[in-house]
Amino acid sequence: MKAELVSIALLLVILALFAGCTGEQASQGTNLKIGVVASLTGPASTTGKDVWQSAVLAADQINAKGGVFVKDLNRKVQIQLVQGDDASTREGGQTAVSRMIAQDNVDLLVGGFSSAVVSAHESIVADHGVPYIITGASSPIVTRRTDINTSYMFHHAPTTDASGSATTLFIGDTIRSAIDQKFGYPADRPLRLSVIYQDSPYGKGQLDAIKNTINASHLAMTVVSENAFTMGESDYRTILTGVKKADPDVVYVAAFLNEQTPLMNQARRDVGLDKIFIAVEPNDDPAYYSGIGRYGEYSIIQSRFSPYAIPGGSTAATVTSFISDYDAKFHGYPGMMGAATYEGVYIAAQAVENAGTTDKAKVRDALASLQMPQMVEAMQGQTISFSPDFRESSFSLDMEQLVWDDAVNQTRPKIVWPASLKERDFVLPDWFVPGKG
Amino acid sequence: MAGDLQFLLQVLLWGLYAGCIYILLATGLNLIFGVMKIVNFAHGQLLMIGAYVTFTFYAISGWNPYVLIAASFPILVLAGVTIERACFRPILGTGKLNEIFISIGLIYILENAAALLWTDEWREIHSPYESLAVTVAGVRFPVDYLIIIVLTVVTLCGLWAFLRKTRLGRAVRATSQNRNAAMLMGINVEKMDMLSFGIGAGLAGAAGTLWVVSGQVFNPYMGSIPAIKAFAIVIIGGLGSIPGAIAGGLIYGVVENFAILSLGAAWKDAISFLLLIIVLVIRPTGIFGESGE
Repeated sequence: MKAELVSIALLLVILALFAGCTGEQASQGTNLKIGVVASLTGPASTTGKDVWQSAVLAADQINAKGGVFVKDLNRKVQIQLVQGDDASTREGGQTAVSRMIAQDNVDLLVGGFSSAVVSAHESIVADHGVPYIITGASSPIVTRRTDINTSYMFHHAPTTDASGSATTLFIGDTIRSAIDQKFGYPADRPLRLSVIYQDSPYGKGQLDAIKNTINASHLAMTVVSENAFTMGESDYRTILTGVKKADPDVVYVAAFLNEQTPLMNQARRDVGLDKIFIAVEPNDDPAYYSGIGRYGEYSIIQSRFSPYAIPGGSTAATVTSFISDYDAKFHGYPGMMGAATYEGVYIAAQAVENAGTTDKAKVRDALASLQMPQMVEAMQGQTISFSPDFRESSFSLDMEQLVWDDAVNQTRPKIVWPASLKERDFVLPDWFVPGKG
Repeated sequence: MAGDLQFLLQVLLWGLYAGCIYILLATGLNLIFGVMKIVNFAHGQLLMIGAYVTFTFYAISGWNPYVLIAASFPILVLAGVTIERACFRPILGTGKLNEIFISIGLIYILENAAALLWTDEWREIHSPYESLAVTVAGVRFPVDYLIIIVLTVVTLCGLWAFLRKTRLGRAVRATSQNRNAAMLMGINVEKMDMLSFGIGAGLAGAAGTLWVVSGQVFNPYMGSIPAIKAFAIVIIGGLGSIPGAIAGGLIYGVVENFAILSLGAAWKDAISFLLLIIVLVIRPTGIFGESGE
C-alpha cells in the first residue's frame, strides 16, 4: 500500500512538472489583459503556435509605442497577453477560457481556432460578457447562433458561406473555362466536383456553401461525390479511392493543415488522382508548402493572406512589413491564422482606445462601431468593421495556384483570381485528366 | 464489373497496409501482456517515439528511411527495457491499479517529453520511392506499401524464429505459459519480462518507422488512437496470442477500410468496435484466445 502511494505521488509530481510548461507574458502593474485562445498543443498545434506568436508580435509592437491610451485612466497601458491553450479540443477550450476569465480576469479574448472548439466555449464567454474577437473559426454559427447571447462576439474571419461561395464561383468560372477550352467541351458541360469535408460545423458549412452557390448562381456544376471524415484523420486512401471512382474534374477539400497535408500526398502519390485540388484558407501556412512537396503543384488554395504571396494593391506594404517583422522575431514565416490574430490584437487595442475604458460593455459597443483601416488582409472597402446584424467583418478573398520553385525546392503560391489582385493566369497542368460522366 | 473488382482490390490493399501497422503494434502489446500480464496503455506513445527516432536520424543522415528501422527498433528496445526496469518492475504484483496509473502517467510523460525535444509541430518524411507504383490489372500498388507489407512479414518471421527456434525465445514462451513453472525450471523470469517489454517496444518503434515512410504525419500526440485500436485488435485476436494479433490486425485493417467505403469515414471507428463487440459476444476469449487466459 505504501509503495502504491509513493508511486502515485511520484507520478503526480512528474506530471505536474511537465504540465507546468505553459507561457504568459510578464505582468507589469495595471495592464490591458488580452486572453489568446490558441491550440498550442494537440493536432492543431502548428496553427496554434502561429496564432500565439502573431499575437505576441502585435502586442510587442503596440507596447513599444507606449501601449494603448485609456481615457478613463488618462494614460497609456501596456498589453499583457494571457495564453489559453485549448489543446485542440472542445473541453480544452472550455477549461482555458474559464481560467482566463475567472482567474486571469482578462479584459478581452482574441483567437479561437476551429468552429467546433469555439462553439463549445462560447457559452462561457456569453455568461461573463467578455468581448471576444474570433479570428480562427469560419462557421457562421459562431455569431449567428441563437441559443446563447453572442452580442459580445465579433467574427474576424471569413465565414464558410463567404469562402465556400467565392471558391465555388472561381471553380465555375475560371477552372471550368480552362477545362472546356483545353478539351473542346461544350459550354453547357457540367463540371464534375467531389467534396471531401471534415465532419464538423466548419466542413459542413463549406459543403452547404458550395451547394447553395451552385443553385443560387445556376452554375453548370455537379457534385459527383461527397465524403466526410472525422477531425484529425490521417488515412484518406479509401476515401480517395472512392473519389477516383466518381471521376471528378476538381476535388474540393475542406480540411485543416494536419489533415490536408497527408490527404494531398496520399491523393497524388498513392491513389494517383490527376485532378485539380482545392485547399481551404486555414492551410495557407509555411508548413503546408513544406509538407505537400511536389504533390501540391498546380493545386489551388483559397487565401486572404499568404506567407509567400504579396498581393498587388493597398495591402502590399503592410504584408511585407508584417512578414519581415515576424521573421525577425521568430525566424520563420507567419500563416493566415497568425495574420488574423495579429489584426485581432490591433482591433482589440483600437476598440479599448475608442471606448476610453476597459469596461467590457463599452468595449463591446466600440467594437460594434469600429471603423479601422485594413491591415495585412484585404478587406471589403479597405476597412475593418463588423456588420450590424451578425458582427462579421468582410474580406476580399483570392485564389492562389501553387507553382514549383526550384530555388526553394517547394511550391509557392501565385494569385490567379480575382483579376484585381492576380499575378498570373490559372494553368491546367499537362497531367490533368478530366472526369468522364 | 472489372472496374468494381479493381476498386475493391485497391481498398483491400489499403486495408492490408493499415493492418501491417496494427499488427506490429498489437503483437508487441500482446507479447508484453502474455509474459508480464500487464496492459501498457502507453504503447501508442512508443510508436510515436519510433516515428521521431526515424525522423531525427533521417534529418541528420539523409539515409533511406527504411534502413532506419535498424535504428528505431534497437533504440525502442532500450527504451522499453528502461521503462520496464524503472516503472513496471517495482510495482509488478502490487495491484492492477498501480499498473494502470503508471502506464497512463507514461502517456503524458512521453508526449510532453517528445514535445519538449522535437516541438509539437506536425512532421512528415517523404520516402525515396514515393513516386514509384506498379499497376497490376488496373490496381495501383505504390512500391512503398509493398515494402511495408514485406518488412512486416520479415519482422514477424524473425519474431517467430526467435520465439520458436532460440533458447531465449523458448524461455519467453515458457514464462508466458506458466510463470511459476518457468521459475522452478530455472528461468530468470524478470529477465524475460525485460526482454519481452523491450521487444514489444521495439516492434512499436518499427511500426513508427513504417508509419512515417507511408506519408502519414505525426506529432507527439498521435499515439493514442493507434494504441486504442491495438487494444481492440488484441481483444479480437485473443489476449496473449501472437497469431491472434496478426489475424486481428488484418481483419481490423480490412474491416475499417470497407466500412469507410460502404458507410462513410465517420463510421470507421464505430464499425471496427462493433466488430470487437461481435467477437466478444460470440467468442469472449477472442479468435485465438484460450479460455481462462
